[in-house]
Parts: sequence; C-alpha cells; structure tokens
Amino acid sequence: MAHLVELRDVYKIYGEGLESEVRALDGVSLAVDPGEFLAIVGQSGSGKSTMMNVLGCLDIPTRGDYLLDGTDVRELTDKELSLIRNKQIGFIFQQYNLIQSLTVLENVELPLIYQGINADDRYDLAMEALERVGLSGRVKHRPTEMSGGQQQRVAIARAIATHPPIIMADEPTGALDSRTGQEVLQFLQQLNKEGSTIILITHDNGIAATARRCVRLQDGKIVEDREQEVDWL
Amino acid sequence: MNIRQAVKMAWKSIVGKKGRSILTMLGVIIGIAAVMTIVATMNGYTVKTMEQYSAMGSNKINVNIYNYVYVEDANGNIVSAGKDYFPDLYDYCKSLSEYVVGVTPEAYVSATVVYGTKNSDNFQWDWETQTGQRRPEIYYGSDQYSICNNLTVMKGRDISELDVERYNQVCVMGSRAAETFFGAADPVGKVIQLNGQSFTVVGVYAPRLTGADAQTSFIDNIIILPYTARRVLGGETMENFIVKAKDSESVKEATARIQSFLNGLVDQSTGGSWVSSDDRWQQSMNEQMAMISLVLGGIAAISLLVGGIGIMNIMLVTVTERTREIGIRRAIGAQRSSIVTQFLIEAAMLCGIGGIIGILLGTGGSLLAGKLLFQMTIYPAAWITGSAFSLSVALGVIFGIYPAAKAAKLQPVEALRAE
Repeated sequence: MAHLVELRDVYKIYGEGLESEVRALDGVSLAVDPGEFLAIVGQSGSGKSTMMNVLGCLDIPTRGDYLLDGTDVRELTDKELSLIRNKQIGFIFQQYNLIQSLTVLENVELPLIYQGINADDRYDLAMEALERVGLSGRVKHRPTEMSGGQQQRVAIARAIATHPPIIMADEPTGALDSRTGQEVLQFLQQLNKEGSTIILITHDNGIAATARRCVRLQDGKIVEDREQEVDWL
Repeated sequence: MNIRQAVKMAWKSIVGKKGRSILTMLGVIIGIAAVMTIVATMNGYTVKTMEQYSAMGSNKINVNIYNYVYVEDANGNIVSAGKDYFPDLYDYCKSLSEYVVGVTPEAYVSATVVYGTKNSDNFQWDWETQTGQRRPEIYYGSDQYSICNNLTVMKGRDISELDVERYNQVCVMGSRAAETFFGAADPVGKVIQLNGQSFTVVGVYAPRLTGADAQTSFIDNIIILPYTARRVLGGETMENFIVKAKDSESVKEATARIQSFLNGLVDQSTGGSWVSSDDRWQQSMNEQMAMISLVLGGIAAISLLVGGIGIMNIMLVTVTERTREIGIRRAIGAQRSSIVTQFLIEAAMLCGIGGIIGILLGTGGSLLAGKLLFQMTIYPAAWITGSAFSLSVALGVIFGIYPAAKAAKLQPVEALRAE
C-alpha cells in the first residue's frame, strides 16, 4: 500500500552555512499510512512545529523529498500547495486560529468558500460539521463570545468541514483544561475510527499515549518510532 | 473564492471599523466633490456664455471691406470715402441662397434721438447702481438685419427691401429702446427725430434676452434704420457687414466663397477685404476654458492623489494588523490570488463608497455654485457622475495594489506566527 505521507531524509535548515545555522529537521525520514493515528512528541525546540509546518505544506523543506499521496510537494507551485492545504489537510491549532471578525458559521465555511462551493452546499457542509462538534445552536456567535473549549470545537468543525483525508492537530489541547482537552482527544480518535489519518503534535507524553503510533523528535532527529497499546478513552 | 464572497468580506471589514473607514474616505470624498463642483461650474459658465452668444445669433460671418480712400468732410474731419460695395455683396449673397440666409451692414450711427420731451442727449446711466436711461444704439441695416442678428418682429413690421430702395425714413426699435421712449404706449406709427430728421417707427423687435439677464444687458436697446438713410444722416463708407449662414455646416463654404468673390471685386490697390466666421470668438473662449479646466483639474487631481495615498497607507496598516488572519486564510487554503482580490476589493470598495459620498456632496456643490454664480440649476451630467465613480474605484484599485501584493507575499508560516 502506498504511503499517504512520506518524508525521505528531510532537512529544514535556517541560516544554512552561517555559524548560527539551525537544523530544525536534521535528516528525518517518516512514512505514514492512511488511517494511522500518529503522535509526534518532542520538547520545545525539538523541531516538531517545523515538522508540522512541513507536513502541512505550510513550509518547504530545505532538502529531502516530501511525498504526499505520491506527489512530490517540493515541485508544487504556491497555488497547488494552497489547494492541498484546502482539500487534503484539516488544521487544528493550539490557539484555535479562528478569525475574530467572522461568526462561527462563517469561520467554518471559509475553507469551503476557497473551494468555490456554492452557498447552499456550503451551508449544509458547515452545519453538518458544526453538528458533529455539538455547536449547531451557536452558529451566529463570534469566537470571542465562546469558551476555549467551544472555540477549539469550532476549529475542529472548520478542519473537518471539507472532509480532508488528513487531520493535523498542533497541541490541540494546549490551551484547554484537562476535561475539555480529553473531549478533543476523544473526538480525534472518533475521526480516526471513521478513517481519517490523524497527526497529533504534542510535547505531552500523556497525550501522546492516546495515539497508536508515537514518533519522538529530539534536536531535529527521530529518536524513537514505536507502536503502542492505546486504552481508548 | 468568487467576487460576491470577496465583496461581502470587504464590506464586513469596512463596516467593522466605521470611524477609520470614514476618515480614510475623506480624501476621496473631498477630491471627488471638488472635481464635480469644478466641472459643473465650468459647464455652467459655458452654457451661460453660449446662451448670450446664441441670443446674438450664431452661424454669423463677419465681412470687412476696407479702403484707403479718404476725404475731408465739411467739418474738416478725415473720413473714408471708398466705393460702397454693399449692393454687390447683397446681390452675391442672394445668389448664395444655398448657404446664406441674410446679409446686412453693421454700421453704428451717431445720432441724437428725440421723441416728445425725451432727448437721448440728456440720458444718464449710472454704471454703479445700473439705473437710469441709457442711450439707444443706432445701426444701419438692410432688410435682412433682423435675420442676421436673431431678431423677430413683435409689433408692426420689419424693414423691407422697398424701404431700402426708396430711401424711406423708417426705423424698427429694439424692445428696450421702445420702452425707453414710449413706455407702455404703441410705438408703431409714431415719428421720432434722429439728428432732426423724422423717422417713422414701423415695428418693434421682440426681446432677445429675458429675465434677470435683460436687466443687465443692452442688446435690445437698439434702433435699426435702412442703410440708405445715410443719404440724410451721413456717415463713413460702410466697412463691416454680417452674413448669416444657413447652418453651422454652411459657415465654412459661405466664408470661402464670399472671400473669393470679394478678392475679385475689391480693388486691391485701394483696399481689401477680410471674411471670418464668428466661431473664432467661440474658439478662443474654448481655449480659455480648457486652460482654466487644466489648472483646476490639476488641483483636483492632486487632492485625489493625496486621498489615494491615504487609502494606501490605511490598507498597509490593515494588512499588518491582519497578518495573522492572512496566515489563517492561507493555512486553510486561500490562494495568493484570493488574498490579493480580498484586499483590492476592500480598497476599491472603500474608495467607491467615498466616491458615492463625494458625488452626493459634489451634486450639492454644483447646485449651490449654479445658484450663486449663474442663477441656474446645474445638475452634474450623467457622464460626470459615472466617471467620478469609476475614477474613485480605479483610485482604490491603483492604490490598493501595493498593500494587496504585500499581503499575498506573506509566507503562511510567518503570517501564522504573528500576533
């Protein structure tokens, strides 16, 4: 079976050749298959955020190949990268990253707008996603009028509204209390059960323990990659 | 992302920051309002001038036949005494009926007008207060004087060809002159004295100007005599003539033909001739107007430029403020072109709304200027309104390009990191 995501000896180097050169990713190889639930764990500065940016097509590696669904990402134009982010990947961020001037519904509709989906279908898809996260009753609210947990649920709804094959969550529970954090993790596991590939980035070993596969990063290198037993929450 | 979505987004963003948006628009508002008021005022001036011009009659050709033959008259004054070419010109113009509808001398007659107790020598006119009685202007004319000068008979009859041929001592008065001498009474049939010679008033011309203009203008304060009255009233050889062309297309052809006719007629050793159409006057006025327009237009353009720079400045601030938003949009799939479209439309919309407000103010300014300067109602023409709006939208697009490009150039990763 073809890998969904494949990194081959990938480097991300800032200020290459200078004395202050930083190797955020230092020869990383990784393959992720469809349907996996992968946690990338590492301490601050281990390169996990850079990894997320590269995997999410937000950033281009300095060297090495990144194949997404068999396509070499390094050869894509900015427009094609935008299309991949739009259709293949759903992002969930630590700081939710909702647009404050838009309502909940408009935030969730945004990726669908960029897909050029007509207003009726857009509304249906956005409402379906909001229903899944249990927020269909608050679609006219602004993000600022909601709690952190609710905002993160809006962000999840936005990520799943386009039905992307890959969900990338960067410290999704980092700004939440433990109970709402649990809910978010449960929701990710639910999505995984339904077939989505989940890539979870975290510094917390406890959270990483909810993933079946755990990849540990240290100084830009993968130091551990193991399958683990998960007690489903 | 389609345009409708982008427009909706831009509208939200503008309405979300009302105070700032209005301050930003101010430059465009003032610029557009100024341009519109200036254009309307210039148009009003042109219309007004053309009105007075056409009251005097358009499609006129001035003919000047001069000569170098001078004699000393009984009083010892040197006067020109060349051949009187008018009968020849008159006959030639008759043959040019395809292009010409009339020809007349225009020669000022210096004479004292007396009727009853009224004597034009005693008339006083106060220029400062615009009150009193003004001396009528007396001209020799042919039977076609009225056609050439846009006059129509209101009472009685016009000067006839017979009056000219038979040296009849008759006259037709302009409405204002008639009022001066006869008040409300009917002047037709009355006899006035010109330098002691009796002339019967046979008709009165209708006023060419009405309303407030008639009060300040004296183009109806005239008395017209058949030019053959020169036999009794005297005067130098007539040199100035007016030919009235059929229409504006005929002016050029008639001018050329009359000039070549006169070249053959007038003895070049003792004189010459000069034929010119009246639109030279109009031309020089147009040139003047173009000059003034250029200067005022330049000032307005500078104010619009300043307004545009204001827009650019605010859009740059907006882009910086919304860097994170741009990052989010890029992360969830917005292409560079979508970001450019979004900010361009926002700038264009900002200017467009400013333009509409400016147009409303400019319409008010035009009405006010028209009322105060020309006592007339000037509504800005549709094309002015249309181009003012297009101009303001174009302004937004032009000055929005740089900020929009800057927004689109942001790298998603860096934009997301912004606070």
